Amino acid sequence: MAGQYTREVAYRIFAQEFRDSNLSFKDSNDQYSPQYLLTPTGAKVNRMLIVGTLTEKEDIGNEAEYWRARVVDPTGAFLIYAGQYQPEAAQVMANIEAPQYLAVVGKPSTFQTEDGTILTSVRPESIHIVDAQTRDRWVVETTQRTLERVKDLNSDNPDAVRAKEHYNTDSSVYRQMALAALESLNTE
Amino acid sequence: MNKEIAKEIEERFSQKGYNIPISEIESRLDKLLNEFKVPQEEARRSVVNYFLKEYNIPRGDFFVQQGETPTVKVSDITSDGNWINISAKVVQLWDDTHESIDQAGLMGDETGTIKFNKWAKAELPALEEGKTYLFKNVVTDSYQERLQINFNRTSQIEEITEDIEVNTQQAEAPTVKVSEITTEGKWINISVKVAQLWDSTHESIDQAGLMGDETGTIKFIKWAKAELPSLVEGKSYLLKNVVTDSFQERFQINFNRTSLIEEITEDIEIGTLTVEFSGAMVDIQSGSGLIKRCPECNRALIKGVCGEHGKVEGSYDLRIKAVMDDGVCVQDSLLNREISEQLTGITLDEAKQMATEALDQSVVLEMFKEKLLGKYYLVKGPKLDRSILVEDISLLPPLELDQIDTIIAQMEV
Ligand SMILES: [Zn+2]
Repeated sequence: MAGQYTREVAYRIFAQEFRDSNLSFKDSNDQYSPQYLLTPTGAKVNRMLIVGTLTEKEDIGNEAEYWRARVVDPTGAFLIYAGQYQPEAAQVMANIEAPQYLAVVGKPSTFQTEDGTILTSVRPESIHIVDAQTRDRWVVETTQRTLERVKDLNSDNPDAVRAKEHYNTDSSVYRQMALAALESLNTE
Repeated sequence: MNKEIAKEIEERFSQKGYNIPISEIESRLDKLLNEFKVPQEEARRSVVNYFLKEYNIPRGDFFVQQGETPTVKVSDITSDGNWINISAKVVQLWDDTHESIDQAGLMGDETGTIKFNKWAKAELPALEEGKTYLFKNVVTDSYQERLQINFNRTSQIEEITEDIEVNTQQAEAPTVKVSEITTEGKWINISVKVAQLWDSTHESIDQAGLMGDETGTIKFIKWAKAELPSLVEGKSYLLKNVVTDSFQERFQINFNRTSLIEEITEDIEIGTLTVEFSGAMVDIQSGSGLIKRCPECNRALIKGVCGEHGKVEGSYDLRIKAVMDDGVCVQDSLLNREISEQLTGITLDEAKQMATEALDQSVVLEMFKEKLLGKYYLVKGPKLDRSILVEDISLLPPLELDQIDTIIAQMEV
């Protein structure tokens, strides 16, 4: 199977962890090599799946449409930007109203503000309307994946090692975040 | 259980001269265990650390003593390098030829047996077969991929009068068939053939896939840290000391450091080679929806052209090349016409009509994407190369509240 194209997995990351992420890099200097975002629990993300609630959307474009949307999970909000390079996603964005459950498959993106803060956002490949049960599944699954990564932080997995080095990750923070997110399903 | 832990924590603090109201400990513990569903060990640790901070107690003051050493049962011993206390009966003493070893043998409790080594330089009292002891400050170790217990100079041995019923059955794991795996947490031996190895992007996993015998197939996970030899697809093996586990309501086999892999010459025939995968459908690839096939070879045409027979008059078909993703693995899944029709509720005739009306074949694919993407499915079917040829696909049912509790409990393990 060597040499066969392998699609990048869509990581499951909660908004809080995504917001805390600021280390992006490529594995090689080749301009076509994929861009990754390393999160505090050691997920090396080139693609992600988010299922959450669209709470706001706004066209912030000048001439062409450029949509900025907030998609919220139990831990916070993802910022989603869709413009002319994401035509399918932009079209969906134009036609839906908040609040709405959405599944967003997309690529992580980082932006550095003037004061040096790094902001994360998502460039969607696709956006689809889903239901509450799909959202609940996603929360359960994202908790599982997050806890797996937290557990893995003490291993010699190079992504975990690098994440710990860069973020000095307090794993209890993400563990509690994930568990609290899961708990939130019980109280709804 | 909470009260026991709280009492233990209170006693440890009071031994050090710090009196903490047990009600405070209990309520903190209760909050962690019940409200935040924090695992017991984490809660205990968290409570201890909380009060150390709250009462300004230097950590060194607290942890110097062996109070920290946990008291465990044989079955709790799952990794090496841990200091433990354990009550166990000496089941067997072995004649040992090595001078550095004073005594070696097998000891056990109601949960199983384990080998031990008493080093000569530890200068500890002699053990007698059939007697029960409390061993303090002994260390777990592994030798030739088997866990054992070592006694050393800081270890203490006290004979106790309590008689322990030793469970010797666990010394050798039972040999089972795939279909007999119905509970988790069982150590087993099993002869299987590796049916598939999956692409895993998770680096803590060395190999994962599907293996089977004449009674069926089961998922397996070989952790990187187990440091075991690689399995080869299509080869048959005798696996010793692997552990059954369950994940998302399905059984699997986990390999660990104590597992042994022996290749066998017998070619095991696999009963039903059906694969299951559950995850979100994150993409539908081009070449899906309403397509045309070559009348000669049945290949899908690309822009009316067959790769083998050139430009031909094709016949219409429906199919979905779905990309399933569970956040760890990507799984290509191929849905034929029948399954596509069932799943989308759109028949081939309706799809043809849609395309005719829109003067565009791609409307069918767009409609499929809208209906299916972002949702969670369970797919089943034989796997060919990298794709599952889907024979059955179903939307995962809504989660029930009690399921969520179960999931929480499982994830805290
Ligand atoms: Zn042909």
